[in-house]
Amino acid sequence: MRVRSLVRLPAAWTAAIALAATGAACTMGRIGNGDGSDPNKPGGTTEAAVDGVGKMGMRRLTRKEYDATISDLLFENTSNGFTALPEDVRDPFDNDFTTQNVSGALVDAVETLATNAALRALGKTDVRSKLVTCTPTGPGDAECLKTFIRSFGKRAFRRPLADDDVERYAALSALAVEGKDFWVGVECVIRAMLQDPRFLYRVELGSPIDGRPGVFKLDDFEIGTRLSYFFWGTTPDDALLDAAERGELHTAEQIRAQASRLLESPRARERIHRFHALWLGYEQLPHDPALTLAMKKESSALIDRVVFDKKLSWFELFKSTETYLDTALATHYGLPAPSGGAGWVNLTGTPRKGLLSHGSFLSVAGKFGDTSPTQRGIVIRTRLLCQDVPPPPPDANVDEPPAATATSKCKYDRYAMHRTGGCATCHTRLDPVGFGLEQFDQAGKFRTEESGLPECKIAGEGNLTETGNFKGPGELGDRLIESGLLEHCLVTQVYRFAMGHRERPEDAPYLDSLGKGFKSSGFRFDTLLLDLVSTEWFLYRREE
Amino acid sequence: MHRRSFLRGLGGIAVALPTLEIMLNNHGDAYADGTGIPKRFLVVFGGHSLGADGDPLHNLYVPDKVGPDYDLKTALAPLAAVKSDVSVVSGLKIPWAAENGGTIPAGGRSDDFHIQSLNPLFTGMRSVAEKNRKLNGPTADHVVAAVNATDTKFKTLNYQVQAGWYLAVSAPYGRDIMSCKLDSTGKLVEVPATISPRAAFDGLFTGFTGTDPLAVEKAAFELKKRKTILDLVRGNSERLMPKLGKVDQARLQRHLDEIRDLERRIASIPPTVTDVCKKLPDPGADPPLGGNNESTGGASGFDVSKGYSNEEARAKLMCDLVAMAFACDMARSGTLMLTMAQSHMNMHPLIAVPYDMHEVGHAMKTPDMSRGIAWHVKQFAYLVQKLGATPDGAGKLLDSSALVYLNEGGHGYDPEGKKDNSAHSTDRMAALIAGRAGGLKPGKHIVAAGKHPVNVVNSAMKAVGVDKNLGEVVGVIPDLFT
Repeated sequence: MRVRSLVRLPAAWTAAIALAATGAACTMGRIGNGDGSDPNKPGGTTEAAVDGVGKMGMRRLTRKEYDATISDLLFENTSNGFTALPEDVRDPFDNDFTTQNVSGALVDAVETLATNAALRALGKTDVRSKLVTCTPTGPGDAECLKTFIRSFGKRAFRRPLADDDVERYAALSALAVEGKDFWVGVECVIRAMLQDPRFLYRVELGSPIDGRPGVFKLDDFEIGTRLSYFFWGTTPDDALLDAAERGELHTAEQIRAQASRLLESPRARERIHRFHALWLGYEQLPHDPALTLAMKKESSALIDRVVFDKKLSWFELFKSTETYLDTALATHYGLPAPSGGAGWVNLTGTPRKGLLSHGSFLSVAGKFGDTSPTQRGIVIRTRLLCQDVPPPPPDANVDEPPAATATSKCKYDRYAMHRTGGCATCHTRLDPVGFGLEQFDQAGKFRTEESGLPECKIAGEGNLTETGNFKGPGELGDRLIESGLLEHCLVTQVYRFAMGHRERPEDAPYLDSLGKGFKSSGFRFDTLLLDLVSTEWFLYRREE
Repeated sequence: MHRRSFLRGLGGIAVALPTLEIMLNNHGDAYADGTGIPKRFLVVFGGHSLGADGDPLHNLYVPDKVGPDYDLKTALAPLAAVKSDVSVVSGLKIPWAAENGGTIPAGGRSDDFHIQSLNPLFTGMRSVAEKNRKLNGPTADHVVAAVNATDTKFKTLNYQVQAGWYLAVSAPYGRDIMSCKLDSTGKLVEVPATISPRAAFDGLFTGFTGTDPLAVEKAAFELKKRKTILDLVRGNSERLMPKLGKVDQARLQRHLDEIRDLERRIASIPPTVTDVCKKLPDPGADPPLGGNNESTGGASGFDVSKGYSNEEARAKLMCDLVAMAFACDMARSGTLMLTMAQSHMNMHPLIAVPYDMHEVGHAMKTPDMSRGIAWHVKQFAYLVQKLGATPDGAGKLLDSSALVYLNEGGHGYDPEGKKDNSAHSTDRMAALIAGRAGGLKPGKHIVAAGKHPVNVVNSAMKAVGVDKNLGEVVGVIPDLFT
């Protein structure tokens, strides 16, 4: 970035520079640390854990969750919510309930979507017969309508309806009588349920705990819902609802068993792919659809292999010397095409190794139609190390790429400004990380000189302040692992994704104990997920 | 028979009525002689400044001639046909911190331009702190609606033309918000605009069924279903409320507020279909979304086929809907955002430059930028012309309207970059105001040196009978009424 002058700085920025001057470097602490909590505090006993359990509020279904839920409830495959509902904030996950807003546009869209979904479903005879199992005796068959209300209501609200609820919904039967059509009643029940806050929001009540005001133990249905949205991103299936009904989602063992079942499904794979894609920023890529798909497939295939098929250490994502390519992507990378059109390719002897060398990740954080070493550095620090990067000072011009110097057009020289004076305070922790990836352009192609500037050779050498020098994405992965920060950051990011909010100071002991379990499992990702859902933090909530 | 009870008897469905009924306006409280005709208020916004970076030419917007029959330069050229209906107010300014000893002044901003200028522009309040982009008070559309539009179908209409943020590497973070209201708990809530013309159309014309008795009956039954269903949903929400914690209660309360508003809109009596108030032709599906660009233009990463979703067609549709909502008295107050602040809409399809609107101001010169501004002004002129041609009582809609056109900045000193002749400046701003409501006398250029753009908004509010100061900005521009 080109800085116009460095005269007036905001307080936070001045403080950052002051810290640097006293040897304390740019303030890039671990997010969630520095709260005074004792990381060695035991989290093992139930009582202590319940005391520390985190706050949770009503979480509205995201656009993605809404579509998955409607698809499951009405036996279809819809993405209407994605275009009609207001966009979710991504930071980087799309499900942070503390960022969710209510607006007239939301309530209008929900009404329209509910109406259209009901009419779509009832327009298909096979869906009708799945939804309504009784045969109505006439438009006013209240018993048959109540049967439907109970069965659909349980699935829509993720718990059985109380009798008075059933009665209130059954009053819609009057519209069926007026319309002389039993199915009008069914239509109205679906429309009403899909607008009910108990459908749109994941409402958790639970039961209060004696002597611990504000702490609630979730009931089995609420736990089933948490499990389902975490592992599958959708509403609980019948097996989960049945287990909850039998009171078999109660102990850590029972919950772990159900979670293991969910993990076996392809839906869990999709979900874990999406976690990585949102986390690392490649969920939406700026390429044409075919290339985008091939790149995402490359990363998903590696995640499948490491997490699900071979159950290796999660660090293997960063170390793998094989990658899954189709012919087009292999050509894009300049690698030999795999036999059979698509398959695993050995990367030994190439500059590529691990997920950080995938086109997916390397396409993230471009700027000005080029790679941005600064932006890549920011992504590595904030996403992979969970560090805070302070915003640039207000008089830095971030709208234009750093300008050519009097003597050079080469990027490394153009970024020289970042290595001097006040800029260096933060940029020495950002740019060198990005410069270590510079031999890969913003579409993940390998290069040794700048486009159109053959005199500008790219060294591709970088530095991570914490652990030292590296060259290329493979070695960056090694440095990140050596830092010891990556594993903790992963735990933090999984927590955010699972709980739908950023961690708070009271969550620190939980994250630490999860981190310890992750380490002792040999960094097994599936173990981390199962540990997360079978501890008190997942089974209780504290009222906001 | 009273008109209202007559319509209720029909289940609240719009039907064509004999001429006698047309003598009444759609609110049943005004007659064709003009007494009691409702007043309409609209704030239109364009996300642009007036001049380009480093260009000593401040703008091609402000006329040289002061007073009536002012001259039209590039940016205001589209006003040619409606010049006598529009006044230009120049010399405006939003004050900033650096010129006030570092403290954000009343109705002012900190030195940062893009994040901080919108709050004082739309609320008349000073920004609370640096980097805080939140609107810090209710906006004029809601202040006016609270007085004038308590009984219309829509309290406020809030439409937006620019269909996406269009820059892949960032997000609007409030640069798409120009409306803010107090909710039932007294908290400020941002009101995002309707972006889909299709959704806007459907929202407006529900209940317009024509004269076919079968269609009328069908629509009446559908309306009854919606009312019954929403009543059940609201009841269930209210029953859930006491079981929740305080923070969740506030969340649900917001949701409940919006359900009640939807119920109110549905319950409102549909307007009488007349020659003037009628369902517009169905617009079909929305123009497809144009996709994001990687850069702001002039370099690789800027694809001139992206970053544009036929905003030209969208703007016309939205203006038609605003005009019809006013004509049918379904709304009396609203906002129309043509482009977002710091607009990254690709201007190539409109003025053949390889930049988005924001970058035009930084990479090109003031004459280029003025062509981009003219695209915005053309939409405003279209709306003015439309209202000027639509009968309302014995006159035209424009006679009972006050429309303001605001834009993001002026041209001049930028306290953030400490440069003169900058596009990042709130010095030398200008505003347009159209209509003849409340004694407005349009058709002239007024130099209001040192006044705030909100003084023009205050004037429009006064013209529609809401004689209040918006936020901290006191007073009107008296010359607009003489």
